[in-house]
Amino acid sequence: MDIVIEKLVQVWDDGRDGVRALDGISHHFRSGRLTCLLGPSGCGKSTLVQIVGGIEQATSGLIRITDPNNPTAPAARAGERSIMMWQNLNLFPWRNVIDNVAFGLEMDGVARQQRYSRAKELLATVGLKNFEYKMCSQLSGGMRQRVALARALIMDQPILLMDEPFAALDAQTKIIMQEELTRIFEKMRKTILFVTHAIDEAILIGDEVVVMTARPGRIKEIIAIDLPRPRTQELVNSPEFGRLYDRILHLIRQEVLDAMRQQDEAVA
Amino acid sequence: MSNGRGGRRPSMWLRLLPALSIILFLLLWEMVVRLRGILPIVLPAPSSIFNYLVAMVADGSLPYHLAVTFARIIAGFLVAGFLGVLIGVLMGMSSIFSRIIDPWIAALYPLPKISLIPLLIIWLGTGEAYILTISAVTAFFPVVISTYAGIRQTDSGLVNTARDLGASEWQVQTKVVVPAAVPSIFAGLQLGMGVTIILVVAAEMIGGSNQSGMGYLLIRFGQVMETEKVFASLIALAVFGGVIIKLQSAMDRWIAPWAVKKS
Ligand SMILES: Nc1ncnc2c1ncn2[C@@H]1O[C@H](COP(=O)(O)OP(=O)(O)OP(=O)(O)O)[C@@H](O)[C@H]1O
Ligand SMILES: [Mg+2]
Repeated sequence: MDIVIEKLVQVWDDGRDGVRALDGISHHFRSGRLTCLLGPSGCGKSTLVQIVGGIEQATSGLIRITDPNNPTAPAARAGERSIMMWQNLNLFPWRNVIDNVAFGLEMDGVARQQRYSRAKELLATVGLKNFEYKMCSQLSGGMRQRVALARALIMDQPILLMDEPFAALDAQTKIIMQEELTRIFEKMRKTILFVTHAIDEAILIGDEVVVMTARPGRIKEIIAIDLPRPRTQELVNSPEFGRLYDRILHLIRQEVLDAMRQQDEAVA
Repeated sequence: MSNGRGGRRPSMWLRLLPALSIILFLLLWEMVVRLRGILPIVLPAPSSIFNYLVAMVADGSLPYHLAVTFARIIAGFLVAGFLGVLIGVLMGMSSIFSRIIDPWIAALYPLPKISLIPLLIIWLGTGEAYILTISAVTAFFPVVISTYAGIRQTDSGLVNTARDLGASEWQVQTKVVVPAAVPSIFAGLQLGMGVTIILVVAAEMIGGSNQSGMGYLLIRFGQVMETEKVFASLIALAVFGGVIIKLQSAMDRWIAPWAVKKS
């Protein structure tokens, strides 16, 4: 699915003048590509994906979600063709693994046997066999991440919105999960918006990196990642990777400093 | 078995300490009563309280009155629990409903429910209806308040997630908001149970025309100064109350293990 956003503005109500989180962002997220959103903390990355996902309503601006293979079909509503994977996972603690994964199908009224067999397939896809009936609190961070991924994938939507899904993971688990995601993406070819703080992660998994400015969030630069797929972790040693890394680091450094200054001023 | 010292589990000595503390206290009590020749009517010795306890179990009086009190507690608790959870959930789901009910709860909650006893006796007499009403009314408040608070504190992230996964508004309520409130509901029910026990026994003491229940027993023995039997009844009541509370926690853990924090 193609996602076109035009002049998106989001002003959060903070009881005073309002916080301008997004300041007129326009972009075309191309169908079947994995776009990474990179920017300093508080620049509006979560805000942006939540608006695209229809979870929040933008103050102003336009979102058009269309199917390039079916140009005559009417545009989809925000959220209609997408599923969110949240920064803090939001697993339902009172449900075991399989009932978390099958939640969306259950809401659709899919019979238990069918939704369980589908959930088991997806748990196998994310490498989590034999944990179906464990409670989520019994799982490690990486396993919980996989449950959240399977719960999103089971909905079989063409758009996946991922808000820093791997940020809380330890370095080794993160590498595994990045490879896993890359493998799943290369197989399923969904349209993915992937929020991250990590430059190396963005280059490793992205087709395109959108670098955002400090708040109010705007697009600073768009960098195409033309590294061949399938990609593996070895890529980080290649000279192209190093060049991209330096370029993005240079772009983002100033924004991070600006964001830190904003925070200092807010405290003062 | 290791000798305990230096191991992870507390040593045998530490684990026996609570029991030792009670035994020591009882021994001291027994000694003071015997050595100073205190009259049993003032303070009976633990050994004679124990003899009375055994006798009261053997003649069936204690089991009978405990069973009556237990039945009343369960009745009051079920009424309060059912209505409290129902109204709390409805208040959480509908702002219209909560606006209608809120002023009543705010006005009646601070009132010591026990002060309603004279009025209830005028209206209902001193039979079972009165005992049920006073205990249920009192236990209703902690249940409804915790339930409502639990429903309102539902993590909005979970609600958004459910909507994103295609839940209807009704499904959001039944599949997310209510389950998320279960820990608060259980906390309210535990408070409610404690209050029910207190109010049932108090009502048996104050009205209690049926001449049954632990409250009645305590008052009667007190009036004729059978202090040993008063003590025996108190011990039975304490153990009984403890067992009910423990049973309830065990049931909570069984119904919703995820809701109970590991200690
Ligand atoms: N629901 C909300 N209500 C009010 N203000 C909000 C809300 N969500 C976000 N904000 C504010 O909007 C700004 C952008 O927040 P957002 O969460 O989108 O940033 P982010 O780029 O995702 O940051 P991080 O990298 O730390 O997750 C912040 O100043 C934040 O305080
Ligand atoms: Mg964020």
